[in-house]
Amino acid sequence: MGADIIFWMVVALTVGSAFLVVLSQNLIYSAIALLFSFMGVAGLYIFMMADFIAATQIVIYVGGILVLIIFGIMLTQRIRDVRISHTSMQRGIGGVVVTLIFLGLFRMITGSPWHFEAIPEVEGTVSGIGKLLMVEYLLPFEVTSVLLLAALMGAAMLSRRGD
Amino acid sequence: MNNFQSLRLFIPELIILSTILVAIIADLFYSKEKSYKVGYWVLTGLLLAMVVLWLTDKTEVTTLFLNSIALDPFSRIFKFIFILATLFVIIMSMRASELQKVRTGEYFVLLAVVVLGMFLMASSIDLIMVYISIEVVSIASFILAGYLKTEVRSNEASLKYVIYGAFSSGIMLYGLSLLFGLTGTTKLFEISEAIARLNGEGNLTLIIATIFIMAGFGYKISAVPFHFWTPDVYEGAPTPITAYLSVAPKAAGFALLIRFFNSLFGTGAVFEPGTWQSLEGIPWQQVIAVVAAITMALGNLVAIQQSNIKRLLAYSSIAHAGYILMGIPVLSQDGIHAMIFYIIVYLFMQLGAFFVAILISNKFGTEEIAKYSGIGFKSPLLGVLMALFMFSLTGIPPTAGFIGKFYLFAALINGGSQFYWLAIWGVLNSVVSLYYYMRIVKVMFFEGQSELELYLPSAVPTTLLMVFGIPTLLFGVYWSPIADWVQNSLIFFVVRM
Repeated sequence: MGADIIFWMVVALTVGSAFLVVLSQNLIYSAIALLFSFMGVAGLYIFMMADFIAATQIVIYVGGILVLIIFGIMLTQRIRDVRISHTSMQRGIGGVVVTLIFLGLFRMITGSPWHFEAIPEVEGTVSGIGKLLMVEYLLPFEVTSVLLLAALMGAAMLSRRGD
Repeated sequence: MNNFQSLRLFIPELIILSTILVAIIADLFYSKEKSYKVGYWVLTGLLLAMVVLWLTDKTEVTTLFLNSIALDPFSRIFKFIFILATLFVIIMSMRASELQKVRTGEYFVLLAVVVLGMFLMASSIDLIMVYISIEVVSIASFILAGYLKTEVRSNEASLKYVIYGAFSSGIMLYGLSLLFGLTGTTKLFEISEAIARLNGEGNLTLIIATIFIMAGFGYKISAVPFHFWTPDVYEGAPTPITAYLSVAPKAAGFALLIRFFNSLFGTGAVFEPGTWQSLEGIPWQQVIAVVAAITMALGNLVAIQQSNIKRLLAYSSIAHAGYILMGIPVLSQDGIHAMIFYIIVYLFMQLGAFFVAILISNKFGTEEIAKYSGIGFKSPLLGVLMALFMFSLTGIPPTAGFIGKFYLFAALINGGSQFYWLAIWGVLNSVVSLYYYMRIVKVMFFEGQSELELYLPSAVPTTLLMVFGIPTLLFGVYWSPIADWVQNSLIFFVVRM
């Protein structure tokens, strides 16, 4: 019962802040709201017994990416004057389409025979994840490094002075 | 096969990987003016990879890295297509004047990264591998599209590409996660078995998941309605990259599409009619047929209005994606055969057309079709070859494009009477495309002063032009070696033993 209450609070935090991200007229408010949304997602991971993923979520998304976004906003000149962050057109049609998509996804989520596996009692997930990355998913893991290398080169190329 | 044993069969990819690393280091030692020489390093590495690929066992069918990727003749033929396209584009890039103003070391390295990503795209049989390989290709393409960073057009192309790419990746990931949630595994063939066990219970989820995943694949092959990025990106990117994006990653998208649907909903070996067992009652074939029909119609109709050669070829490449997509709904070996054959032919004619456009832009400084007037006489070689590529893209005999289209339509006709409309629609579309392709030829030969100036490109571009032109003509009269090769490559990693 107590866990249920906490779960719904985490859900409310995640979804509520996500709404704020989209609806806020000010970029900085959006960024701060995104912070709480990320924290909520970390909470959801904890409910799924994924302790390592939850910690990673905090460290990478909250500690890294979000701080970067906020720095980006702060260091961009005159961004406070920009108030166009969320204008929307065609609200009527858009509303109908979004409602239909929502209903479809809702029906799908409640009506599907999802694959469930009992969560085994484990002391922590780190060693399991490590084994998966180093054995079963070794190739994707290594290819990711090529992906990051390419991204790094792109960033260096774009930020280089001159041509 | 376990990770260590797999390395032995992974040598072509390892060579490409080493090429990437060596080229990065080599780039450090070149000045800006000499940095194009990195292209030679990449060229050598890719040639070596192609030779090694040629020496590998043609008939080997197995999985590598604990079922992450498949090694089969189907992926092998696509790997040749990717390497060939990349080699051509590297040579084209060294000749493009717009790239001579910038440092191009990373440019060639990124091309090699794209090749590695496409190799993996053509052989992925694991959802995580599918996603990562698509991302490797996408991220490197984003950078390449925006490579001319002082040009606003190029920036715009890159930014639009990134935003569309991120969006479609997100939707595709949601679809992949639904598949995982339904089946509890990331291996395509295990998913297929799990779906069969569901007995149609999760059909709604499957439909939604497939639509979402199609957003990712459709984006890569620029099928309607995921095509919006194409014209702007193609116009703004450096022309060799435009040529590249319209051929190689598109072929990789088709390879992934074929394998994905085949493993998930087919028997795994080759498509057979009536074997999409898990989705009975859902008209999948019709849906893809309609997507193909709309894609080619939109590509052709919008291409008519274009005045910029790059934009015109962009829309024409959308139309060609539609033609190639026609091979899927018939669910037959013929269909896949026709698709791969068409991709090979398309590689030569599309890259050829772009290369002529690059040479014209180098020499005459224009990308506007209206300013092409008289080029047929100022440079007969460029004029005649452009005409040849345009004939081939339209599908007029005796060019290779005709044979490609013939195979596609024949596969449709053999597929049964429910596809006659699509074949007729395809023919009608080819007629429409005749108009705008011929307009280019008309402007080049029948407008402007016909003074003879006789501009001849130098040796290397002329050779490359011939490398594009001769197959375009030759495969129109003698195509059986290619057709046989494709036929022998229609062996997939078989799902159920």
